[in-house]
Amino acid sequence: MFAKDRKQGKRGLNIIIVGCGKVGASLTEQLYKEGHDITLVDRSESRLRSLTDMYDVMGIVGNGASYKVQVEAGIDKADLMIAVTDSDELNLLCCTVAKRVGDCAAIARVRTPDYSDEVSYLKEKLGLAMIINPEMEAANEIARVLSLPAALGVNSFAHGQAEMIRFKIPEGNRLNGQKIMTLGRNISGDILICAIEREKQVFIPDGNFKLQQGDVVSFISTVKAAKNFFERIGIENRPVHNTMIVGGGKAAYYLAKQLLEMGIAVKIIENRRERCEELSVLLPNATIINGDGTDEEILREEEIAYVDSLVPLTGIDEENILLSLHAREVSDAKVITKVNRNSFHNLIDKLDLGSVIYPKYITAEAIIAYVRAKQASMDSNVETLYHMFDSRAEAIEFRVSAKSDVTDVPLKDLALKDNLLIACINRSGKMIIPGGMDSIQTGDTVVVVTTHTGFQNLEDILK
Amino acid sequence: MNGAMVIYILGSVLKVEAFFLLFPCLVALVYGEAAGRWFVLTAVLSAAAGFLLAGKKPQNTVFYLKEGCVSTALSWIVMSVVGCLPFYWSEAIPSFTDALFETISGFTTTGASILSDVECLPWSILFWRSFSHWIGGMGVLVFLLAIIPLSGGSHMNLMRAESPGPSVGKLVPKVRATARILYMIYFGLTVVELIFLLIGGMPFLEALMISFGTAGTGGFGVRNSSIGGYSPYIQWVVAVFMVLFGVNFNAYYFILLKRFKQAFSMEEVKGYFLIIAAASAVIFINIYDRTMTAADTLRHVVFQVSSLMTSTGFATVDFDLWPSAAKVVLIIIMFIGACAGSTGGGLKVSRVLILGKSVRRELNAYLHPKSVKTIKMEDKPLDQSAISSVGVYFTTFILIFGVSFFLISLEGNDLETNFTAVLTTLNNMGPGLAKVGPTQNFGGLSVLSKYVLMFDMLAGRLELFPMLVLFHPLLWKEAWNSGKRRRAIQKNKR
Repeated sequence: MFAKDRKQGKRGLNIIIVGCGKVGASLTEQLYKEGHDITLVDRSESRLRSLTDMYDVMGIVGNGASYKVQVEAGIDKADLMIAVTDSDELNLLCCTVAKRVGDCAAIARVRTPDYSDEVSYLKEKLGLAMIINPEMEAANEIARVLSLPAALGVNSFAHGQAEMIRFKIPEGNRLNGQKIMTLGRNISGDILICAIEREKQVFIPDGNFKLQQGDVVSFISTVKAAKNFFERIGIENRPVHNTMIVGGGKAAYYLAKQLLEMGIAVKIIENRRERCEELSVLLPNATIINGDGTDEEILREEEIAYVDSLVPLTGIDEENILLSLHAREVSDAKVITKVNRNSFHNLIDKLDLGSVIYPKYITAEAIIAYVRAKQASMDSNVETLYHMFDSRAEAIEFRVSAKSDVTDVPLKDLALKDNLLIACINRSGKMIIPGGMDSIQTGDTVVVVTTHTGFQNLEDILK
Repeated sequence: MNGAMVIYILGSVLKVEAFFLLFPCLVALVYGEAAGRWFVLTAVLSAAAGFLLAGKKPQNTVFYLKEGCVSTALSWIVMSVVGCLPFYWSEAIPSFTDALFETISGFTTTGASILSDVECLPWSILFWRSFSHWIGGMGVLVFLLAIIPLSGGSHMNLMRAESPGPSVGKLVPKVRATARILYMIYFGLTVVELIFLLIGGMPFLEALMISFGTAGTGGFGVRNSSIGGYSPYIQWVVAVFMVLFGVNFNAYYFILLKRFKQAFSMEEVKGYFLIIAAASAVIFINIYDRTMTAADTLRHVVFQVSSLMTSTGFATVDFDLWPSAAKVVLIIIMFIGACAGSTGGGLKVSRVLILGKSVRRELNAYLHPKSVKTIKMEDKPLDQSAISSVGVYFTTFILIFGVSFFLISLEGNDLETNFTAVLTTLNNMGPGLAKVGPTQNFGGLSVLSKYVLMFDMLAGRLELFPMLVLFHPLLWKEAWNSGKRRRAIQKNKR
């Protein structure tokens, strides 16, 4: 009735989140900031209270899979049900009940390896919008970075046809002090620089933008083009042949499985004997070491100084960070640090940890991208939406279905808004990185990178 | 403490009050009353102060329970001081203390008056008196939440500090939408009552003021005989609406959503109606003596019971003359009060239910020391902290009651007067018994007593703790120290 928020000018979705753990909390924070109406369901009143005190959301104590609780949470008016409790089975049951009771989309977190192979089957049969697996997503991202060690982060983009790659310009690099315009094709090749973070500020650069050492640059390209680019600008991109993983949890399993398929040797150090035995069954080709991964002696024995890469995946953030700092000290391995909690974000950024990934964040991002696309697709032609640099910039994919002011006009003649870049055009399966003479045509999908928010239509890019 | 944000909220409250002050101006304009200019002056001053205080939104809008309590308590004090100015300046109430008492009594929906003759007052003054009930009934900060977006921070802390009841539930996820729904229900019910009163042949302005008085469960009348001089039809209408405004508003929301089963199965609402019925029956049997017809007796009994149970304080007869058994029943229901989440005062039915249930559990524990029993409310288990917070609330209530009782007694009135004066103000009722009974007023009390009762009214309306937090020395010590530290840091930066 009052869901239309005048300030935003668009309707917030009614979202029910079951489970207020770490993922639930970070989802609540992000979705609340986006202006949605959120109802939380959890068994623990104290956990609910801490969230309802922080954000303007409603909390209901109870079992989220129960029909009665769902009705109380307003399932009949909900647009989306997100189940992120500890238990996979409960999450699936929540979504199944929600699908029967209300007319809403449902997202479940399923992370046990037992089900991981059946995800697409479950999703289809249960009619779920999405099944998320934070551990697997984290493993995927780590694997992508390991395949391109020069990068800080690698995100799959535009339905996997391109990657969004982030790297930091090192001291004394040839890019330092260069204008983007002067890079020319012989340096930049087939990549497109689309956003730069400098001292906590995000810029969408134009040709006159001068790069500096220390800038974190995001660009779109294929993996191959990126490898060539790193070579040309003189950033070492030594392929990784072996990886040491400390901690043998779910993420470690998913990562090891992927890396082994990529032909990278894997060594896992795990403290608990039983888990080691389980892992040795699941991953026959990996080297499983039973020992305390935070013990310097064991690390030395396993030759931490000579590994290509190290990924600490223990359940404790502090241990992961210490291990990474230690590895940076004793070796020149590529280190990827997993950080679970979002607190002290700024402090962690200041440490010299190399690549840092936040699994909870990745999951929340994936869901928020879905929610924004769902919200947007109600009255616009947004296909997908990606957040960059903690949502300070967005990459939006539009489908061009009809002729409009922006179609069939060379890009250089369009009066575009500031801080906006047309990053790529996908024309019948071919990626075009557009120049001034290219134009948008009907049937294309267009990716726009911008620091503006709230774009609904492609015409919004005009001034 | 985020002082900038507290000041910003104070400023916003003043702006809202300036807006509300325009209505009595309108009344004065229609009736051509000189008092109107004082309302205009107050409105202008209030608006000016509002824009001065809330000119720029502070950068840090983070808001914790502490800030919620402080800004709520301060808002109510500032609001009352500003609101009493027209009474004082227009010399309708020549003493400042009396004017403040009357305004606080209005905003807190108490309805305890210091005036002996209201019929000689200008309409605009009477209107502002009654209108303050309507404003205070649902709360100014709830109104604020409904109209201005307070982005960031936790709005719940404001709502929690102002809304009656042990736990504040939201109807919909957003506080803003919840506040709007509450005001819509409130507004709607008021209009319905107004229509019913107009059908009964009451003049428009009078009907409007009586509706305000009922809606806020306030109790300022516009005639010296309160509601006693009106027709039986009007008395029944007012009685029914007093009961309706004492119902938990969540029930109306469920009805709006057509979830009738949920609305009628609310434990608190059921208990509320049961207590009204039981109290009416007992008093009826006690006072029925054939000097009046049964229908008249029933009407007076139901009217008085619903008036005191919902803490409204309208009267159709002088119940001070009733036998003492009937008066004791009245005092008991005064303590109990209306439902949580309504506009009424008192301990609230839900608290009484929880207290009763924990007493029963304690008793059972003497028979079966190892027994495990969870106390449930509205079919949901309550955890121990919720139960003990109700106990603490009750204890605090008794403590404030005791201290006020003592302070009032210094004046030398009889016990019944002192006891009911505190009871009636702390529960936001209105008339008490004996010298503060329905045909009497509070005008004869000393200045000290009046200030004590003013504190009681504010404390009672804001559920005790926000007022107590405001006077907690530690709060001001900490605020002072952190302010000093902040200034030192700023100095160092320069």
